[in-house]
Amino acid sequence: MTVAGVHQSAPGATPAPVTGQARGWLRLAWLYLVSRRVPAAVALLAGFGALLWVALRWHWSVAGGAAAQMVIPLVTEAGAAAVIAVTTYGPFGEPERATGRWLPYLRLGAAVALTAAAIGALAIGSTGGVLPGGFAAMARNVAGITGVGLLCAAVLGGMLAWTGPMAYLVLTESALAGRVSTPWVWPGRPPLDRGGAICAYLVFAAGLALVTMRGVRESVRDTAT
Amino acid sequence: MTVTSAPVRSTPRQAPQAAPRNMARLLWVELRHNAMPLVLPLIAVIFWFDSYRIAATLPPLWNTRLYYILGQGHALLDFAPFVAGVAAWMGSRDTRRGTGDLVTATVRPRWEAQLATWAATVIWAVGAYLVFVAVTLVLLGRPDVWGGLPWWSVAADGVGVAAFASAGFALGASFPGRFITPIAAFAGFFAMGISSQIGFSASGGWALILPTMSTGNFGQDAGIFYQFLPDLPMARVMFLAGIAVTAVGLLGLPVSAGGPRLRRSAAAVTVTGAAAVVAAVALAFTAQVGPYGTVIPALHDAASDRPVPYTPVCGNAGIPVCLQPAYRPYLSDVTTALRPVISQVTGLPGAPVRASQSAAIFATGAALKGLGQIPALGGSPPVLSLPLGAISLPDSFGQDSPSFISQLKVEFVHALVVSGGATYGNPAQQAVEAVLLQNAGIPLAAQPHAIPWPISSGPRQTATYPQPIAAAAQRLAAMPATTRRAWLAAHLPALRAGRLTLGQLP
Repeated sequence: MTVAGVHQSAPGATPAPVTGQARGWLRLAWLYLVSRRVPAAVALLAGFGALLWVALRWHWSVAGGAAAQMVIPLVTEAGAAAVIAVTTYGPFGEPERATGRWLPYLRLGAAVALTAAAIGALAIGSTGGVLPGGFAAMARNVAGITGVGLLCAAVLGGMLAWTGPMAYLVLTESALAGRVSTPWVWPGRPPLDRGGAICAYLVFAAGLALVTMRGVRESVRDTAT
Repeated sequence: MTVTSAPVRSTPRQAPQAAPRNMARLLWVELRHNAMPLVLPLIAVIFWFDSYRIAATLPPLWNTRLYYILGQGHALLDFAPFVAGVAAWMGSRDTRRGTGDLVTATVRPRWEAQLATWAATVIWAVGAYLVFVAVTLVLLGRPDVWGGLPWWSVAADGVGVAAFASAGFALGASFPGRFITPIAAFAGFFAMGISSQIGFSASGGWALILPTMSTGNFGQDAGIFYQFLPDLPMARVMFLAGIAVTAVGLLGLPVSAGGPRLRRSAAAVTVTGAAAVVAAVALAFTAQVGPYGTVIPALHDAASDRPVPYTPVCGNAGIPVCLQPAYRPYLSDVTTALRPVISQVTGLPGAPVRASQSAAIFATGAALKGLGQIPALGGSPPVLSLPLGAISLPDSFGQDSPSFISQLKVEFVHALVVSGGATYGNPAQQAVEAVLLQNAGIPLAAQPHAIPWPISSGPRQTATYPQPIAAAAQRLAAMPATTRRAWLAAHLPALRAGRLTLGQLP
């Protein structure tokens, strides 16, 4: 007999204490977060919040139309999303996937928690002045661009995932300068616009779903370059 | 025999020759294993969307089509975040993989090995930039685009790509980790955003060195009536190359980078790069905006001031109208705009006998105020000079053909009625202008708010004319054409000189 066919403890075995289970869960979550460098990511997100605060406090803005006015807030939102996307990279690869049955929940929890942390950090940062579009637009933009990053992580791998938010940022700035009004360019839509919100949160949900279920792509280049 | 008694071997003769060959081999290995090609398709898409797509819709003049790409630095913006991010990834490679100690202990100095990786990264980035720009120029140049190309601006942005790649590489090597790539990319975009902010709001000084700064050095009639002045792009090349060299030099300063001699060389490289940056900024401080662009006395070549010769193309609007051949597509719009005004004033004292395009120039000093910016009458017999390069042409910056024609009518009438053209004009002059424009096809009610006005300030910004001006204009408009013409023949010189008041109008 091998352990492969065993699905439950032997009769009479001592069950694990509840406190021990909880501690085990916490330890598992902590180890996962550390392996994804989440503490460093949280510090960086706080840094983005501070940068936004400084930019709004001292009225940093780019002269010009709607695209130019949104550069500073949008670039901090995209930066936060890029950091979240990069946390999806895992160093363990196949062994982790083969043994970690809670991995999907950990991926989901980490991505949601970091997105919430980014929104919180930028919300605190926005107290430095008047944020264009307000909280609703900022939360929508962060969620949507993070979704782009997560999709990018699923397709290109965690280490290249930052390219998605950065590319979306450049394309959005160009589209806004050209007065493109599609809801897929949600940063240009009004804060409570339904179309923009649907697109942004749809992308976020798609990114979350892909990263949760499939994980990020293990690129050969992650280790070869 | 012990090792201490063994004779010292002389250095093999082939060693000096082998070193460069090994370096070339190392560079080749780094080129083949570089990560930059991974993001080039993405950059190509962004470059197409952000730079080429917009430029292709602009009028067929190089200075207009390349204004967005090179003048405002969008080519560099499309590259900067991505090359900085990937270069940071390449710079952090050894430490990220935990092989830093291993490669530091090899026979080749650490800095030398890093130089090979850096060079491969920069070669990929700058090579891709040159290829993308070359393809863009070929596509934008079909079938015929007029004017000279700003080659120095192309070079400046290319060196800018190298600077962002070098800075990203140095960041990655200094602070290795998974987050250094998005941080470097973020920093690249942020730097370009701040550069744009300063570029749009500043008018001179050190800000001229920024690659996003187009004020006073890109546009107008550069490359058409006169050459693009290379002074400022040359200073920018020096500035950006200095940043690249400084970043590379900094990598060689730590103890682990190599021996004392190598580190002294790295220090010299760093100082040289920093000196180039400081010198370039100092040169920018000495810059002055001249008629043909920004002049830096220390870099200026008088040969750059020679006008570009051309044979004009002419049409007829009641008087001959001649344009630079680059503006041939707009000749019919110009004659359409001038004809209804000319028909009202032809034969009057001071009316132009011909119209000729003049160069739109950059200088905005008191002596040059208005000239080269808006149409003006001058000479004997009077000639109307038309600096079309100072007006947004149809299909550019939101302008369409009817607006272009309306703007030309307004500017011509203003040049005819207000001497000097650069002042707003008194109420009597405004009333006469309003009547001439109404008879030229712009209804009084549509003036003054609905038509573009060449002078940025003044009561024309209001939605309607003040009541006394509107009343005088309506009185003049109600007069028979022959009576009005006879009054103009008698009073146009006094009106132009500003000696008539509103009460003296019929």
